[in-house]
Amino acid sequence: MVDFIQNTLDGIFIGSSYALLAIGFTLIFGVMRRLNLSYGPSIMLGVFAGTLLYIQLNAGLLVVGLATVVGAVLAGLYVERICFWAVRRGAALASMVSSFAIWMQLEEAVTIVFPDRTYPFPPLADFTLKLGPFWVRGEHLIMFICASLLTILLHLLLYRTRFGLAIRAVSENPTAAKFMGINTGLVVMFAFALASVIGGVAGYLIASTDQQVTPLFGLWATFKGLIAMTLGGMGSIPGAIAGGLLLGVIEAQSVWYLGTEYRDLVAYAVLFAFLVFRPGGLFAQKSAMQSRLAARRV
Amino acid sequence: MDFYFGLLQIIGVHTILGLSAYIVLLTGQVTIAQAGFFAIGAYIAGMLTVLAGWHLVPAMLVAALVAGFVACLVGFPALRVKGLMLVVATTAFGEAVRLFWFNFDYQIAKGDVQVGPLGGEGFKQIRFFPENGWTTGDVALFIWFWVAVIMAGLWWMDRSRAGAVLRAVGEDELAAQSVGINLTAAKVSAFAVGGFIAGIGGAIYAHYTTHIEHANFGVILATFAIAYPILGGLSSVLGTLLAVIFIQGFLVEGLRFLGDWRNLLFGALIVLAMNVRPRGLIDERVLNTLRRTFSIGQGGGNA
Repeated sequence: MVDFIQNTLDGIFIGSSYALLAIGFTLIFGVMRRLNLSYGPSIMLGVFAGTLLYIQLNAGLLVVGLATVVGAVLAGLYVERICFWAVRRGAALASMVSSFAIWMQLEEAVTIVFPDRTYPFPPLADFTLKLGPFWVRGEHLIMFICASLLTILLHLLLYRTRFGLAIRAVSENPTAAKFMGINTGLVVMFAFALASVIGGVAGYLIASTDQQVTPLFGLWATFKGLIAMTLGGMGSIPGAIAGGLLLGVIEAQSVWYLGTEYRDLVAYAVLFAFLVFRPGGLFAQKSAMQSRLAARRV
Repeated sequence: MDFYFGLLQIIGVHTILGLSAYIVLLTGQVTIAQAGFFAIGAYIAGMLTVLAGWHLVPAMLVAALVAGFVACLVGFPALRVKGLMLVVATTAFGEAVRLFWFNFDYQIAKGDVQVGPLGGEGFKQIRFFPENGWTTGDVALFIWFWVAVIMAGLWWMDRSRAGAVLRAVGEDELAAQSVGINLTAAKVSAFAVGGFIAGIGGAIYAHYTTHIEHANFGVILATFAIAYPILGGLSSVLGTLLAVIFIQGFLVEGLRFLGDWRNLLFGALIVLAMNVRPRGLIDERVLNTLRRTFSIGQGGGNA
């Protein structure tokens, strides 16, 4: 029982970073209704910007973090301009293929500058707390606190500001939003930047927990974000958070009880089961059921 | 000469892979599972020729049938979801297949060497072609025979009622359903045929590379599989072939002299192609022009 709770705790801490990735995906999917395969790789570019400063100039934590976020935002905007803004409306598949091509491009750019397999990343904290029978790693705790703070800030931004209102309006109905005088192109661009900020913070937290980065990080981040978003329910921010935490817990438990080689298999199996039995995910079940009922009535 | 035969082989196998995604994309489903079916075809055909000593053609057909059957099984649950959810579901399936072969060992002694798939080390020594004295030219001819068969089959299907049904589902599911099309049947059969074709491609791939491992069948390959038909255009099977020649022949081989910088340009050129031609390289207009020029079919209607 102690093991189980300890795993759950670890899973929730790790899962908080998955939740951030899933929130980023949700924001992009909300305003665009298109799949951005380059989301993870653009975060990876930011993480490598941070590690470049760390290796070359031995920069401090704050500078590295700032460089990570700025790098991720710049890469994210590059992806948005090239794959989404430039590709005309109605060509969602073309956007997806473009984002795949840019993913290859970003990965290649990083491997040209960083030819080795792994590079060091500065750790955030090096202490371990003991709470009763449970251990909490310091960087996990910081990860969880940062993720929670960022989520609260995002909530305030989305529900308390005019800009948040604009994002929600565009997600709800882009045409109606346009008629209300919202500059949808600008809102989409800012939503991308916002998603990249969140992704950059997530990338920074994950890289400093692992204390190393590899060019495979992009693919990894895209996977985790997509799976967490799907578990929680497409297009719902509470769902993305719940999905991220759930994915973290599932992974932690399966590593403990079955071994590392089964971690991803178990996550995929759970995902598949969710898609079959609860296709709306944890939180968006109502809308999924409505659309299915509508299809059945035809 | 061998270099060009090798290039022909790569283009042929990737065309088959692209065509397997083409038929699924016709129904409007974006699937990242094709690499999984490709892997199933590769491993099963390899095991049948190496471990059971079969001839390649029956081994290939059995492997393709297994892949098609798995696709059918996966199709039912997976097609309960649409759009992005289906992308995630099929990605999960494809990765699960890859991880299955990563953990799969089945080796027997043949002479004094152990043959068969061995987990992370992969499946070595699939030597059907060299053992039977096929030259690279023969292999290229064999591959292109199958490319031609599959392309002809899909071309014919496109012009038949079945093609119209698939396209109707892809255009508008509600409208298709309201004119009495069974959505599940259309989608699952497209999925199964796609799995079958991917299985053939995988079987051929395993035999011409002679060494396969789980890492060959990752999400990159699966994304290439859907990128070909989307880049080429969903109006005709010719688009997929053109896209494979564009990517494998021009972008991968033709730009090899650029070294590391190739992939940078590679991405930019694909994006450029998608910007200029969002409906694919060969879209309806080009197809109609082609039809008029060669006066095939109705002599160019407004399809």
